[in-house]
Amino acid sequence: MSDMSENYKIEKIEWIKCKKCGYLQYKSHLRCLKCKNTEFEPIIAEGKCKLISYTILKAPPMEFRDKESYALGIVEFENGVKALGQLTTQDDLKIGMELKPEYTKICDNLDGKEVYTYVYKPLG
Amino acid sequence: MNEVAIIGAAQTKFGRLEEGLLELLCEASLKAIENSDTFGENFDSVYVGCMFPGEFNHYSGIASALVDRINLIPAAADHIKNGPASGGSAIKAGFQAIASGMADLVLVVGGEKMTHITTPGLVTSTVATVTHHEAERIHGVSLPSFAGLLTRTYLHKYNAKIEWLDAIAIKNHRNGALNPYAHFQRTIKDFMESAIKKGKGNWKTIEEFLKDDRRNPIIADPLRLFHICPISDGAAALVLCKAELAKKFTDTPVLISGVGQATDTHIIYEREDITVLNALRICSEQAYKMAKKAPQDIDVAELHDAFAILEAVQSEDIGFFKKGEGAKAASEGMTEIDGKIPINPSGGLKARGHPLGATGVAQVVELFWQLRNEAGKRQVSNANTGITCNFGGFGNNIVSILVERM
Repeated sequence: MSDMSENYKIEKIEWIKCKKCGYLQYKSHLRCLKCKNTEFEPIIAEGKCKLISYTILKAPPMEFRDKESYALGIVEFENGVKALGQLTTQDDLKIGMELKPEYTKICDNLDGKEVYTYVYKPLG
Repeated sequence: MNEVAIIGAAQTKFGRLEEGLLELLCEASLKAIENSDTFGENFDSVYVGCMFPGEFNHYSGIASALVDRINLIPAAADHIKNGPASGGSAIKAGFQAIASGMADLVLVVGGEKMTHITTPGLVTSTVATVTHHEAERIHGVSLPSFAGLLTRTYLHKYNAKIEWLDAIAIKNHRNGALNPYAHFQRTIKDFMESAIKKGKGNWKTIEEFLKDDRRNPIIADPLRLFHICPISDGAAALVLCKAELAKKFTDTPVLISGVGQATDTHIIYEREDITVLNALRICSEQAYKMAKKAPQDIDVAELHDAFAILEAVQSEDIGFFKKGEGAKAASEGMTEIDGKIPINPSGGLKARGHPLGATGVAQVVELFWQLRNEAGKRQVSNANTGITCNFGGFGNNIVSILVERM
């Protein structure tokens, strides 16, 4: 999957927690970033989701050129899981605001495959 | 460990050029060989820093092609690839070859040819392949978008002003206007006056011009066009030799007295604080330690301002300013050519241009000229010691080179 040759679906916002030291990290690591341990338990994003930082990108990469621009944000869930994703709006964004993840198709990648993942919608 | 000296340096003009990648590498290499008076010498090894020779120029084996074209046969030849820090990594490889005793005479050259790519978004998309595929790239990130996220966090966390980043761009364009090799040899005031002449608008100050959404459009909010380096072609080269042989070739060699390289997490948002470049803190510390120097000993620096925010945060993590104070210091003139610590007298990536693989080498070429008093109108006075930051990926693989007069 990692060469993106298949249709690409990220259905869970998943990190892993080190069984030895408890450090939280993205699921692709094979060894703990803190203690180098190799055993983990999965941690799925849970609780309130807050916007940590955002930008509005007006010069998208080739596979996203069907849109003139979009907002991208870094978010953090209440249980410490972080993620990066597109935001559903470019208006009235504010660091610290609460968001809700929504699963959707975001592009056809350069190999012509569909990519599904989460985008984030401001609450209220 | 053998000491390593630079005995010659050269670069092509940077910008939108006619020549192909191999021609640019040859031009810079031959000029550096001529500059070092090593035309008749046999080189032991050659290191070529280039990020995308296959993707952009359909070249594999670029180092082998170079030694053939300029006849450095049978020198060992390697292509060194470390993203936008390929040039810095190539210098490190050359340094290691001589320091270890495996080589006495080495050519290091970095280059990139990019401006012929006209498909919208293709350069952005190709460069974005350095990011984490699942956690970042598939969401539509680009390196400018990372710089936008970093800028937003920096402004929020340190109560900084976007105008302080404008000051970095203004300074680098002013310096670039004094550099005959720069992609943009025009100040931002020149750009403004030219736009006024063409009837595109009427602005009273540069500050007002830089807030104009049409002349200085937002690319990755809050970053605008003038905060971001151009796409450029060009090459730069250095001739290195065992320091004890250096005086045979030149009266004024420059010593590479410190080299460092360090990595950080691939995913930028896994870092505890995205405004901290931990890899730079570590690799610059390695370079300072090897050279027995400290940040206050540095007279001139070439930092990797692919985005204005990067010059600000790098000036902090390389030890010149406290965290959160780099942008403000630049806005107060402390990093001007005649300031407390001159940064990017060459014009930096913003004005000299950023042919990816060339940049790390061009930074040291500039320091070589500065330390030999050969930098013309942009000369920093009493420049004895200099340092670079060559930024790979988005801060996840950084090289720092420290040089001083011999």
